[in-house]
Amino acid sequence: MSTKDTIKQRTLLGTPGAGGRGLGRPVVLNREKTVVKPEKIEKGEEENELRFINREIDELKKEFYDLKLVSNERDVEEVIESQIQVLDDPELREKIREMIEEQHYKAIYAVFSSFNDYIQILENSGAKWLNDRTVDIISIRDQLIDLIRNHQPRELDADNAVIFAVELSPTEMVKLSKLNPAGIVSQKGGLTSHMVILAQSLGIPCVIGADWHLIKPERFESVLIDGDVGSVLFDPTDKIIDEFEEYQQNQYRKEKLALKWAEEENKTRCGKSFTIRGNIEFVNELPRLSTRGASGVGLLRTETILFESKDFDVQTQIEFYRQVAQASGDHPVIIRLFDAGGDKLPDNHEEEHNPFLGWRGIRMLLDSPDLLRQQYEAILKVSAEFPGRIKILVPMISHIEQINRSKEILKEVKNKLSKEKVLFDDTIPFGIMIEVPGIALMASEAADMVDFFSIGTNDLTQYMLAVDRGNGKISSLYQPGHPSVWRIINRVIKVCRDKDLPLSVCGEMASNPLYAACFMGMGLNDLSMTTNSIPAVKSMLCTHDMSEFRQLAWSVLKAKTYTEVELLFTEWQKKVELQQ
Amino acid sequence: MIKKKVKVLNEAGLHARPSSILVKTASQFKSDLFIEMYGYRINGKSILGLMTLAAEKGSEMELIMDGPDEEEAMEAVTELFENKFKTA
Repeated sequence: MSTKDTIKQRTLLGTPGAGGRGLGRPVVLNREKTVVKPEKIEKGEEENELRFINREIDELKKEFYDLKLVSNERDVEEVIESQIQVLDDPELREKIREMIEEQHYKAIYAVFSSFNDYIQILENSGAKWLNDRTVDIISIRDQLIDLIRNHQPRELDADNAVIFAVELSPTEMVKLSKLNPAGIVSQKGGLTSHMVILAQSLGIPCVIGADWHLIKPERFESVLIDGDVGSVLFDPTDKIIDEFEEYQQNQYRKEKLALKWAEEENKTRCGKSFTIRGNIEFVNELPRLSTRGASGVGLLRTETILFESKDFDVQTQIEFYRQVAQASGDHPVIIRLFDAGGDKLPDNHEEEHNPFLGWRGIRMLLDSPDLLRQQYEAILKVSAEFPGRIKILVPMISHIEQINRSKEILKEVKNKLSKEKVLFDDTIPFGIMIEVPGIALMASEAADMVDFFSIGTNDLTQYMLAVDRGNGKISSLYQPGHPSVWRIINRVIKVCRDKDLPLSVCGEMASNPLYAACFMGMGLNDLSMTTNSIPAVKSMLCTHDMSEFRQLAWSVLKAKTYTEVELLFTEWQKKVELQQ
Repeated sequence: MIKKKVKVLNEAGLHARPSSILVKTASQFKSDLFIEMYGYRINGKSILGLMTLAAEKGSEMELIMDGPDEEEAMEAVTELFENKFKTA
């Protein structure tokens, strides 16, 4: 056998379920099939048998309530709540009673058979979500039967273990999460199953759809699971374990730092305040947003709903926007219109020669007015529920006419909603992305037409320098810190200051603490970035003075080359570190 | 006894969470609730029964409320359907 085969054998690929990495012993969760024989009771024992089963059901309900008490996640509580409802189901209870009192079956068989009636209907229905729920109902049935049989469920030694299961019910998942597992690998389970939703909110790395049976996980000593890519590695080499440990140390440090900085006030050492918001794409990024101390969502990417949702409609959008707004407390949520095109193309789209210079962002939306109208409608409807907090951001504006046309369509949608007596925030702020140099140079004119600007540094860099950032041959020429990028940003900042127009920056430049310092020095103090970068940026801004930032910005704006700019940053950092 | 026709408006249909909310709401009232769909009749306070309906978006069903507080109960349950099972 070649080395390549050995490596292949040791890696198992599945679908990423919940992110993060974990290392631990493999533990296989075997669930025996529950079998109950149809045994009968003697005449006269019915009442006793009925009292007995009601007591057992109450006992299991109590276990569920206890589980609910210790969980602080709403998702988890809702799941357990519905499990309690199953035990309280009047029809189910009536079936059980009838089987005992009128047909004289033993309580255990009455439970088994009554549950099975429903399980069979659900299994035959063919609806996918119902199949997911059948697992839950089978698990409630088996827990009740174990209780009647007085089976102590085998104590699972899950501490720091990677659990291999065919699938897991929500209760099993919640119980498991208390045992501190390193990760979960399941054979079945969809991305919408309770198992995955819970793993995400409980922070357990999870890989689904991985057929692990043939590998026999028990044979191995350790397993490394990567929930971000969906891989499971058996008996990783020492080098990989070292890498993992370093990763874990890093995660730990980051977490500690994040919590420390989240509580600090957003003020520089000299007292100048600034704003930090998160760039968000998925609902499951939201919990981290508040723990990292972000003041709302500076950029909500919406393309994913366009690509992922098969039965895409206004309602799907409304639900997504609402969830984000609800999770953002009192802070604003800036919703960027679908930025599809470029490297983010729908499957059925024809290829373009220069996708980055092609049919994307507002260009695509203005050619697909129905799509744009739907998105406006969804945003407006949600804005009524969160007055003053929702803002609209238009991507890829290159021509003034596009601003006019986008606003006209917004007005049309507003008129339509008014006629239908649908409530919305009539003063909803309307802003544009500054990411094309052509519009950056027209900033003064554009500023008179909109309520705010947001600078998208990634695209601005690629268009300023005419460098396709996906092209490996010229990747070294893609330099967000290029002097021309700083100069054009500074120009936009000046326009906004003169016109008193709110300006923020979103994009990778804001995530770099040194670049964030430079933005502050230029007078731009509203930054939006990936949630993970917030602690580092915040610590940089809180621990220095505006005079330091200004001195940095001033020298950067005078620089002639990218190398010069980078050198200025390294020297500045050395200098400020020495002063501390 | 009062009857009312309703339609499932929420995207995902009457799946676990909406069923759970419906049962919770219906159980707060003394009146019995029955739901009829495609000739089936289920107890509206039974979560298992509701799930077996497998009602998708657009499904129409008839609510039958019977009891001392039927008006009030009907209003509360219909509202759930109209609000797509959003609870405050």
